[in-house]
Amino acid sequence: MSPFRFLFVKEWKQFVSNPFMPAVLVLLPALLMLFVPLLATMEVRDVRLAIVDRDRSTMSMQLIDKISQSGYFVFASYPDTYSQAMDGLSRGDSDIIIEIPEGMERSVGRGEQVEIFIAANAVNSTKGSIGGGYLSSIITDFSSGLPSSGGLASGAPLSIKPQFRYNPHLEYRLFMVPALMIVSIILVGGFFPALSIVSEKESGSIEQINVSPVRKRDFMLSKMVFYGLLGIFAFTLSILIAHFVYGLASHGGLPEIYVGAILFLAFIAGFGLIISNYSETMLQAVFMMFFFVLIFMLMSGIFTPVSSMATWSQYVTYMLPTTYFVEILRSVCLKGSRFADLGFQFVMLASFAVVINVIAVVTYRKQN
Amino acid sequence: MDSIQIHGLRKCYRDGVPPAVDLQADISILKGELFGIIGPDGAGKTTLFQMLATLISPDGGTATVEGLDIVKDYRKIRTMIGYMPGKFSLYSDLSVRENLDFFASVFGKDVDSNYGLIENIYCRLKPFEKRKAGKLSGGMKQKLALCCSLIHSPAVLFLDEPTTGVDPSSRRELWENLAELKEKGMTIVVSTAYMDEANRCDRVAMMKSGKFLAIDSPSDIISKFDKSLVAVRSDDMFRLLHDLRSMPETDRCYTFGDTHHVTLKDGTSLQAGEIAARLTGEYGHSGVEARLVKASLEDCYMNLEDR
Repeated sequence: MSPFRFLFVKEWKQFVSNPFMPAVLVLLPALLMLFVPLLATMEVRDVRLAIVDRDRSTMSMQLIDKISQSGYFVFASYPDTYSQAMDGLSRGDSDIIIEIPEGMERSVGRGEQVEIFIAANAVNSTKGSIGGGYLSSIITDFSSGLPSSGGLASGAPLSIKPQFRYNPHLEYRLFMVPALMIVSIILVGGFFPALSIVSEKESGSIEQINVSPVRKRDFMLSKMVFYGLLGIFAFTLSILIAHFVYGLASHGGLPEIYVGAILFLAFIAGFGLIISNYSETMLQAVFMMFFFVLIFMLMSGIFTPVSSMATWSQYVTYMLPTTYFVEILRSVCLKGSRFADLGFQFVMLASFAVVINVIAVVTYRKQN
Repeated sequence: MDSIQIHGLRKCYRDGVPPAVDLQADISILKGELFGIIGPDGAGKTTLFQMLATLISPDGGTATVEGLDIVKDYRKIRTMIGYMPGKFSLYSDLSVRENLDFFASVFGKDVDSNYGLIENIYCRLKPFEKRKAGKLSGGMKQKLALCCSLIHSPAVLFLDEPTTGVDPSSRRELWENLAELKEKGMTIVVSTAYMDEANRCDRVAMMKSGKFLAIDSPSDIISKFDKSLVAVRSDDMFRLLHDLRSMPETDRCYTFGDTHHVTLKDGTSLQAGEIAARLTGEYGHSGVEARLVKASLEDCYMNLEDR
C-alpha cells in the first residue's frame, strides 16, 4: 500500500470514529444555508412611521394612503406636533417621522413649492437610510402624479424607471447564498485540516510519524486531499440547498463553479497548513484561523458590496482570494457567465492557491 | 560491534540557557546491549533520545546508529529504529488493532510477518483489540505503544521512560519483555527515573544536567562506591534529617525509604554506634537506630551528582 493511501485511510477512520465530526460536516452547511439567508437580510420592512399631518386635507390623506400601500411601513403614531413625534423617535417608538406642512393642498393648488419634512433615526443606519429613501421616492412619485395647476404638462417630465438585471427583485438572499457557500468551504476545507494537524502535534502522534519513513509531504497531502474532498462534499450540499431552496440556478456553469471551488479549497487548505505550522495548540490555531477568516469574509465583499468600502480597503479586497471566488459564483449563478468571461478571476484564484502553498511548504520546512 | 556511537552530542534550545544535552565524551553502545539512562526530570534524557531517533538535529557533535549518521542518513535510520516517546502518542481515537495495523503499514510491513516479535506482549492486549487506544489503562497503553514501535522489527529500540505512571506488576512485565527482546539481539536504550529498574540493564549511564556522570554496569558502579554509608532512624524522622545535616562530619544526608542515609566526609572516622549515641545524647532523639549499610545504585547516584 502506498503511504498516501494508508494515511488517507487513517484520516477516514479517525474522522468516522467519533460521530460528532460527520454530523458537523452535514449540519454545518445545512444549517448555515437554511437559516442564515432567511434571518439575516438587508431588506427593510415594517419601518415604523410617525405621521405629523398638519394639513389634514384630502391630498394629505391620499399621500398617507400611498405610503401605506407601499407595504414597507407601519404607522406607529399620529402625533399632533413635531416635538411630540421627536419624543416618540427618541424613545424608540418610531423609526421615521414625516411632517406634512399646514396648507399643503392649498399651496399645491396655487402651484407653489411645498416642503415635506422627513426625519429618520439613523442609529440603525440601514433602516434609517433605506426607509428614508423609500419614503422620499414614494413622495416624489406622488408629487409627479399631481395635476399641475399652473397648466404645465407635468412637474417631472423625465422619470427614471430602473430595471434591476440578474436579481430583478433585489433579493439580498441571492447576494447572501453564494457567500455562505464560501463560508462552509472555509470551515470544512480550512479549519478541519489545520486543527487536525495541530491536534496531532498536541497528542504527540506526529512524532511517531516523524520517526517513521513516511515522508512529510505524504502526511500533509493526505490531510489536504481528505479534507478537500470533505470540503467538496459540503460545497455540493450547499449548492443543492441553494438550488432547491432558494432557486439559485447554476445556468449550466457547474464546471466553472467546481473548478473555482477546487482552486479555493487548495488555497484555504494551504492557508490552514501555514497556521498549523505556527501553532502549538488547538486554541492558538483556532484564534489565528478565525482572525484571518474574518478578514477573508468581511473585507472581500462576500457580504457587503465592495463598492461601498473606503477606497484603500477596496485595494485590500483585491488581495483576498475570496473576492475572486465570490465573483465567479455570483457571475455564474446570477448571470450565467462562463470561463471565457471569468478568465481574470480564475487566474487570480489559481495564483493565490499556488503562492500560498509554496509559502506553506517553505514555512513548514523552516519549522522542522 | 557497536550499535550506537556518540561523539559529544550537544543540543541547546535557546541562547542564554544551559544546553539541554552536552555530552562531552565518546560513548558507544554495543549491539544487543540493554543500555539504561537514569537521571532526574530535566536531565536531558528525552532530548538525547530525540536526537538519536532523528527527531531533532544536534547543535554539535555527531552520532551514528547502526553505522548511519543521525543527520545525513536520518531517512535510513528511521526504517531501522523503534522509538517510544515518554508521552502516549498513538492515535487515541483509533482502536488497538487499527493503531497496530497503521504503524505496520507506515513501515511498509504487515502485522503478521513480525507477529512473533510482539506475540508475548500483544497477547495481553488481544481481548481489547476493538477498544479505542485512548480508553486503555496506563499499562496497556504502554504495551500497545511498545508493540507499535516493534512491529517493523527494528534493530535498535529507544524507550523514553516506558514505565512512568505504570503499576509495579506491569513494570515488571515490561522489563521481562525487554529482556526477551534483548535475547533476540536487539539493541535497547531505555531511560528511567526508577533506580531499581536500572539494575536490570547491562550498563547504565547516570545523567544529570545534560551530562553523563558515570557509565558502567550497575554492579561496577556500586563496587566503586568508596564511602561509608550509614542508615539512621529515630522516632522523629523530620527533625532527625535536619540534625544529621548539621553534624560537622556529615557529607550528605538524604531520605532513603523509611531511613535517612548519611555519607561521611573523607577522613572522619565516626562509627554507626557513635552517631546513635550523639543523636540520643546531644540532640535528644529517642529510639535511635544507626547501622552501616551497603550502597545501592540510588546511593551511588545521589553521591555522584556534584562531582
